[in-house]
Amino acid sequence: MTPDPLLDIRNLSVGLRGDGIGYDIVRDVSLSLYPNEVLAVVGESGCGKSLTALSILALHASPPLYITGGSILFEGTDLTKLSPAKMRAVRGAEIAMVFQDPMSALDPMFTVGTLLTSAVKAHQKVSADVAKKISLEALADAGIEDPRRRFDEYPFQLSGGVSQRVMIALALVNDPKIIIADEPTTALDVTVQAQILDRLRELKNERGMSVMLITHNLGVVASVADRMAVMYAGEVVESGAVGEVLAAPHHPYTNGLLSAVPRLNSEASELVPIGGRVPQPNELPAGCAFADRCSFVTDRCRSEHPPLEHHARTEVRCHHPVA
Amino acid sequence: MKSVLKTTLLTLLLLIASSLAVFAAIRLSGGDVTAARLPASATAEDRELFRQQVGLDQPILRQYVTYVGEVFTGDLGNSLTNNASISSLAVEKIKNSAILGGMSLVLVFGVGIPLGMIAALKRNSWLDTGITSFSVAGMAVPNFWLALILIYIFATVLGWLPSAGQGGIEYLILPAVVLSAEGIALTVRMTRSAMIENLSQDFVRTLRAAGLSERRIYFKHVLRNSLLPIISLAGLRVGQIVGYALVVETIFGWPGVGQQLVNAVLRRDYPVVQFFSLLLVFVVTLGNLAASVGYTLANPRLRK
Repeated sequence: MTPDPLLDIRNLSVGLRGDGIGYDIVRDVSLSLYPNEVLAVVGESGCGKSLTALSILALHASPPLYITGGSILFEGTDLTKLSPAKMRAVRGAEIAMVFQDPMSALDPMFTVGTLLTSAVKAHQKVSADVAKKISLEALADAGIEDPRRRFDEYPFQLSGGVSQRVMIALALVNDPKIIIADEPTTALDVTVQAQILDRLRELKNERGMSVMLITHNLGVVASVADRMAVMYAGEVVESGAVGEVLAAPHHPYTNGLLSAVPRLNSEASELVPIGGRVPQPNELPAGCAFADRCSFVTDRCRSEHPPLEHHARTEVRCHHPVA
Repeated sequence: MKSVLKTTLLTLLLLIASSLAVFAAIRLSGGDVTAARLPASATAEDRELFRQQVGLDQPILRQYVTYVGEVFTGDLGNSLTNNASISSLAVEKIKNSAILGGMSLVLVFGVGIPLGMIAALKRNSWLDTGITSFSVAGMAVPNFWLALILIYIFATVLGWLPSAGQGGIEYLILPAVVLSAEGIALTVRMTRSAMIENLSQDFVRTLRAAGLSERRIYFKHVLRNSLLPIISLAGLRVGQIVGYALVVETIFGWPGVGQQLVNAVLRRDYPVVQFFSLLLVFVVTLGNLAASVGYTLANPRLRK
C-alpha cells in the first residue's frame, strides 16, 4: 500500500479578490506528493500550475491573490493556516523552491556566498565558518565544479546554468524534505537543461527528498518524473503514474498535448495543434472547461462540470474519457 | 585608472572654462569697482588712478593671464573693497559654509532615505500619503519663501530659534533645514520609488522562499539595491546645496562663501568674486566626482 503523502494539497482554490472583481484562478486542485518521488505538474502558460506552487509557501502576491479554499497539509500541518513567522520557518528548511530565470532571481548586489550563508543562518544557529562549509558543500552537491571560486562571485559573473545550480544550492543548504522547482530549466539551453534535471533526479535519490516539478515540457516529465498531474484552466484534468498517463492518456486535452509534441522517431511529419484558446478564469463555461476545444464534445460536457474520477489506473476529469 | 585620468583632465578643463566665464562675466556686467572703495567725493582722476593701481586699465585677456599667473604662485589677490587678503578671508568663510553645507547634506540623506523607506514600507497608508505630500511641497516651495515662513514661525512668533547670524547649534537649524528641504524631498521620492520597484523584483521572492526575514530582506537586500540610483544622483544634490547656499546664507546672515560671494558681486569686487565662484565650481565638480566613485564602489558590476 502507498505511504502517507508528505505534502497533501486538498481542494485548493486560489483567487483574485479586489474592488468588484472576484474569481478563482486555481480551482479545487488536489495533489499529493509522496516521499522520495518526483511529481510533475504539467500545463500550458496560465493554467495555474505556478500559482499552485507559489501558494504552498504563501509566496503568491497577496493582495490581490488569496487562498480562497482548501488546505495544504505538510506532515499533518495545514500550511494555509500558519502565521507569517511559522511559515518563514518552513520556507527553505522544510520546503524549498527553485525558480525559473535564475539570472533575475538572484540578488545582483551580493555574492553567491553571502546569499547562501544568509539562507543557512536564517534557519540554523551556526558560526560563519560552519555556514560557509555548508554552503560550499551545497554548491558542490548542486553540481558546481569550483565551489570556492563561485562562492566569492556575483550573480552577473555566472552563466545561466551556473546560476540555476546556485539556486539549487540555495534550496539545498537547509536540507529540506521537498524541493518545488518552478520551470527550473525553461530559461536554459538544452544541454544544460538535461544536466540540471539529472542533478535534481540524483539529489532526490541521494537525499531521499521529494521534488515537485512544475513544467510545460512533456519531454522533461517523461525523463525525470514518477507521477504527473495535467492542469488545464486552473484544474487538474488528469493525474497518475507518468508511464500510464503518457502511454495511454484518457483526457482529450492530455491526448492533444501529446499530439503536439514533436518526435524524431515518429512517421507523422506534422504536429497536431489544439484548436481554440484557453478560457480566461473569469469567463469559464458552466460545463467542462475544455469543451470548446474538444473534438469529442457532447451536450452533457457543456452543461455539467465533470468531476475527477478514477478511470483505469489514472484519475481523469472527463465525461467521455478516451480509451 | 583610465577613467580617473579622464575625469581629472575634464575637471581641469571645466575649471579653466569656468574661470574664463567668471572673469569675463563680472567685468562685462557693468557697475563701478571704485564706488565701494573710494568716497563719493572722489574725483574722476582719483578713480582712474585706483583702476591703474589694481590693473583694471589693462586689456581683459592680459588681466586674465596676470591673474592666472598670480594664482599659480599662490597669491589669490586682495579684496578691492577693503584690501584684505583673500587667502585669510577664505579660511573662515569656507569653514562656515562647510558646516552649513555638510549639515544640509547629512539632512538630505539622513532624513530623506529613512522617510522614503518608511513611505515605501507603509505604502498607500496615511503615513505614506503624509510623507509624499510633504515631499511634493518640499519640491514646490521656493527656498527663500520657506526661509521667510520658518523665520516668521520659529523666530518671530514662537521665539524658539534665532532668525539670523552665527553662534551655537541653534543658529544652524533654520538655514540647514531650508538649504536641505528640496534635497530631502527629492531623496524621499527617489528612495520610495526605488524601494517599491525593487520589492517586486524576482530576487525578493527567492529570498522569501529561502526563509529570510522580511526585515532582513527589506533593510539589507532591497535597500542596498535602492541606494544605487540615490548615490548616482548625489552629485546633483551637492550642486543644489552649493547653488542654494547663495540665497540661504544671505537670508540668514550666515557668514559663509555664499554670502561673501553675493556681497562681492554687488560691490564688483572682482578678485573675491573670481576666487569664490571658482571655489563653488570646484566643490560641485568634486561632489560629482565623489558620487561617481561612490557609484563604482557600490555596484559590483563596476567594482569587479
